[in-house]
Amino acid sequence: MILGDLLGVDVHDDGGARLGRVADARFVVDGGPGQLLAEARLLGLVVSPHSAASFLGYERTGLRQPWPLPSIFRWRHRGSFLVLWEDILMIGSSGVRLREGFTAYSPALD
Amino acid sequence: MKRLLGVALGILTAIGGFVDIGDLVTNAVVGSRFGLSLVWVVGVGVLGICLFANMSGRVAAASGRATFEVIRERLGPRAGLANLSASFLINLMTVTAEIGGVALALQLASSVHYLLWIPVAALAVWLVVWRVKFSIMENVTGLLGLTLIVFAVALFLLKPDWGSLAGQALAPAVPAEETVPTYWYYAIALFGAAMTPYEVFFFSSGAVEEGWSIRDLVQSRVNVLVGFPLGGLLSVAIAGCAAVVLLPAGIAVTSLSQVVLPVAEGGGKVGLAFVLVGLVAATFGAALETTLSSGYTLAQFFGWSWGKFRRPAQAARFHLAMIICLFIGLAVLATGVDPVLVTEYSVVFSAIALPLTYLPILIVANDPQYMGQHVNGRPVNVLAMVYLVIILAASLAAIPLMIVTGAGS
Repeated sequence: MILGDLLGVDVHDDGGARLGRVADARFVVDGGPGQLLAEARLLGLVVSPHSAASFLGYERTGLRQPWPLPSIFRWRHRGSFLVLWEDILMIGSSGVRLREGFTAYSPALD
Repeated sequence: MKRLLGVALGILTAIGGFVDIGDLVTNAVVGSRFGLSLVWVVGVGVLGICLFANMSGRVAAASGRATFEVIRERLGPRAGLANLSASFLINLMTVTAEIGGVALALQLASSVHYLLWIPVAALAVWLVVWRVKFSIMENVTGLLGLTLIVFAVALFLLKPDWGSLAGQALAPAVPAEETVPTYWYYAIALFGAAMTPYEVFFFSSGAVEEGWSIRDLVQSRVNVLVGFPLGGLLSVAIAGCAAVVLLPAGIAVTSLSQVVLPVAEGGGKVGLAFVLVGLVAATFGAALETTLSSGYTLAQFFGWSWGKFRRPAQAARFHLAMIICLFIGLAVLATGVDPVLVTEYSVVFSAIALPLTYLPILIVANDPQYMGQHVNGRPVNVLAMVYLVIILAASLAAIPLMIVTGAGS
């Protein structure tokens, strides 16, 4: 399975209720030394209830131009959240299941 | 002094390079059927292409990378692919139309059938793309393309009734023998011809080819903001010539020979000689630009090394992609399809694909991660959003109008 297969896959909570779809994967660059940068580590997945389309970069709250595009893209992704890798119970091409009592973080970036 | 010469050269090549087969044919068709009543569309289109070409040049100068590369990286593969497929297919159609245009222009000059010229034209395009330095290629075709100014000269020599021309231009009305849908269909075609997507991709990739940096921004801006509007005036002169000679005679343009007819009438043999050189240079220059653009967009999407500043062996897939595109164009033309017809369709399909081309450019030009302090200013963004609405309206209206009007017939 590659990361591309994961995008757009349904996400359910522990009880089987549908929460949305995987819209993005969030990485941090803090692993072992790589060729150019440190190795990237998967921090978690961004789950979006209404659309699995790309945020087109508007997850960064600093981007406000050109009006009204940022508002439109943020509205498309209203209710989306970041769930950490530790909170993921199971991953498969048919669905992602989260652990009971997972924490939903804000997907916003500075 | 050297800098001034550089600016002058840039402006001149921008003027000469502005007009391509799409502008030539569409303006002449429109002039011969609607007079100057659609001239406002050229104005709208030219302002639009100035806006987005300038933005795209700024992205290239600020990030050191071509716009499409940034789009692919920043907006991801899906948005990139939508952008690529729209732009690339239109571009392929335009390559075909331009090569057909070169062949038709050579037919006018030599009386040898255009189908015989087509392989010659395609081979010549390939040789130049393969061998000739980018700056030489741009400057030679751009400067020779300037001979199309003969359309403006011919318009004066034809001694038209300026009052009635101005009346058509300033108080646009649908001529009695044409319908309202046809009028709007051709408005969209003209808009598409002025705003063809390859121009922005070529402009930004060209900026990388020539190694622009932020210091060259002023010159790039001058090239666009002076050169393109003057090129737009050339388009208007083409429409004007057709409006003065062909409209009263009831000749609706369907071939390239009819496009040059007014110049022959107004400018005689000398005028004809100039216009033939101009036609070959303009279509050949545009054939080079569109062929390169197809290579640029493909290579930038798939992450191949690209550019004429590299030796062909170091950008093998880029060159191979262009060869394949030329062969596809050749194959289409070999069916005997009329290049003028291909052109007329290509400008309308251009208009249809425009939102997918220009929305990503706008988003990227607003991203400080790539642009630093050179992100779009507020007035540019407001204007660009207005244009996106126009572009979207034109794009949505194009196919229904095409069906209703039978493609303008």
